[in-house]
Amino acid sequence: MNERALRVAGLGLVAAAAGWAAFRMAAGPAVPYGDGQPVGRPAHLGLAAGGGSASTDVDPAQPLPKIPDRLPSFTLGDRAGNPTSIDTWRDKSLIINFWATWCAPCRREIPMLQSLNGEWSGRDVQVVGIAVDHRPDVVTYADKLKIGYPVLIGEQDALTVAGELGFASPVFPFTVFTDRRGDVVTLFVGELHRAQADLILSVVQELNDNRLPLAQARRNIADGLHGLAPRGSG
Amino acid sequence: MKRLIRAALCSALILGLPAALEAKPWWLRGAQSNEGDFLPPDVAFRVGSRIDGNVVRVQWGIADGYYLYRDKMKIEAESPDLTVGPPSFPKGTMKNDPNLGLQEIFTQQIEGAVAFNRSDYGAHPVQIRVTYQGCAEAGLCYPPITKVLFPGSATPLPHHQALTYPWEGDAIIAGGLAFLLAGLTLRKGRRLETPMS
Repeated sequence: MNERALRVAGLGLVAAAAGWAAFRMAAGPAVPYGDGQPVGRPAHLGLAAGGGSASTDVDPAQPLPKIPDRLPSFTLGDRAGNPTSIDTWRDKSLIINFWATWCAPCRREIPMLQSLNGEWSGRDVQVVGIAVDHRPDVVTYADKLKIGYPVLIGEQDALTVAGELGFASPVFPFTVFTDRRGDVVTLFVGELHRAQADLILSVVQELNDNRLPLAQARRNIADGLHGLAPRGSG
Repeated sequence: MKRLIRAALCSALILGLPAALEAKPWWLRGAQSNEGDFLPPDVAFRVGSRIDGNVVRVQWGIADGYYLYRDKMKIEAESPDLTVGPPSFPKGTMKNDPNLGLQEIFTQQIEGAVAFNRSDYGAHPVQIRVTYQGCAEAGLCYPPITKVLFPGSATPLPHHQALTYPWEGDAIIAGGLAFLLAGLTLRKGRRLETPMS
């Protein structure tokens, strides 16, 4: 082996080490010590004060969740406890916002959603909140904020709805936009800001006016969101 | 020199592939959605535990841009005949949230500890139950997570890493492949040099 081959081997090792370091950094911070045995039980999602729960672990052998093309039909209790179907707002474009009272970014979004609901209601756009939380906490908070749009409330049943939308282990907030035909146009994960909502709604309107096919609408939204400034911190 | 650069790029690409796949949130793969960059909960918040004398120490590794709420953290007994005292945590950072008020949060890495007492004479492995809840600064919260942990002995346990990093095995193979590919790329067109030639 000549000197050049040694140099090459050295460089390969350095590249491998750099790649390895990058991988470890991307994988997040290391925990310096661990458990002696495999964790024998999957993690559980519990609602704020130890309420309903659902599995959170992602089994790599299971197919990845898929957001449906059509909004599934579901029924949850409203603020008064009356079962209310999402089909109540059939033929409208929906902004379905999943939230919880313990979630600060969810709370921050609500005034913006109130404004959206007021401004777009004349154009057949309806905001519906879905609180995945304990009913008394939600009712108290919704009354305090005088939330003017419908709020449906659920625990395990609302988690099931989230699962049908591709979120078996949801994070909050997330917002589903549909067109008036009931097609799921996009699902926005994290805190929604006004500029993002306006952009998505303008594309939904184009869809409703048959000026765009769905696939193109989704591409326009993705490109438009990409072009907007980074989301605010909080 | 060009060959060297090419080899280095090959290695970095092959090795970087698992990390690139992991970087995309699982819930966005194959779906129409915003290209957010939020981490899955078990990547945003890593947890490990160990026994240190009569104390169980639980450590959380928190990714940059993420935080855990102090008042949502619990360490409780899980296995039979195990009792634990109240958990102690270091002082966190105060975060003033207009919607939730003043909240004590943890970032980066923190360790909680509980004194434990077992009355089963070692019949059961020590199991604890930890609960934690946190958010991303960019505007996303994870529901409370509860996990059952089996704290190991005081010495770090290397095989835990395989559980924490499911891509580790792939990364080792990818590293080997990268090295092999680099060698093949550089040897292409060259004769084997032997003392006889």
